[in-house]
Amino acid sequence: MKPPLYFEAVAEGMDLPPLVKRPTIVSVFRYSAVTWNSHRIHYDRAWAEHEGYPGVLVQAHLHGAYLTQMVMDWIGPTGFLKKLAWTNRHFAVPGDTLTCKGRVVRKHAAERLVDCEIWEENQEGRICAPGTAQVLLPARETP
Amino acid sequence: MIGDDLRALIGSETETLLGEITLREIQRYAAAAGDLNPLYFDEEYARASVYGGIIAPPNYLTAIIGWAAGPPESELAPDGCLPDPIRPLLPGMQRAMGAGQELEFMAPVRPGDRITRVSRIADATERAGRSGPFVLITFEERYVNQHGNVVVTCRSKVLVR
Repeated sequence: MKPPLYFEAVAEGMDLPPLVKRPTIVSVFRYSAVTWNSHRIHYDRAWAEHEGYPGVLVQAHLHGAYLTQMVMDWIGPTGFLKKLAWTNRHFAVPGDTLTCKGRVVRKHAAERLVDCEIWEENQEGRICAPGTAQVLLPARETP
Repeated sequence: MIGDDLRALIGSETETLLGEITLREIQRYAAAAGDLNPLYFDEEYARASVYGGIIAPPNYLTAIIGWAAGPPESELAPDGCLPDPIRPLLPGMQRAMGAGQELEFMAPVRPGDRITRVSRIADATERAGRSGPFVLITFEERYVNQHGNVVVTCRSKVLVR
């Protein structure tokens, strides 16, 4: 079991461990299948090009799923994700390298809540999905 | 762009029984997202966690586009999307894209949960974009489990142009 991330171990300004995702055309197909998303823009390349994109698009929700994964990996089995928000600002296509990053913005000691700024950027450093997260962390047991 | 017919859709709530959430659906979703967190796969690990058992990824419910079987293919929109009540009311605007979500999580979703969704169109606004005008639709949803507890709330935006 991954060791707990304690509230006391987190400091304002601290970076979250980044998560690197390289979606392929198979990732995009499977995500459409499992979410029952039949929008052609995710599997019909000619359709996507007709709409002005260089390839089929990574789903808006998959960008959100990557950000969720980064935060859930960070807080481990004893943290609780309370809030997560993102905006889809720039598209991504299979072959892109998407890196999810985050930073602790504010700690609320009374409630053991931690506010984070999170974002996903592509290989050119362009922000695809900026957002925010709030997590609840356990207190370190005092002897 | 936004007429009285679209404005009339704003505000009223629709309640939909989504049905039972299964372990297989949860795990297929996580696998498709490339997220192999043991909280979604390993019962022993999950039992020792703060959750006490396997859970769904927090954003699972709000990532599913269609919960029902859906119509025959001939009734899908030309771009493959499910028919929706909004786009026919925006003539000349046929492209819809997810623009983001604000999620609040109250309780975990577990295999076997029976979920009901209460949703409404909260807002529709006209905007001027770099590549022309668009309409931003805001949806509000809450997901309720079989115990009557709200597990997730979602405010999502869809851009139609």
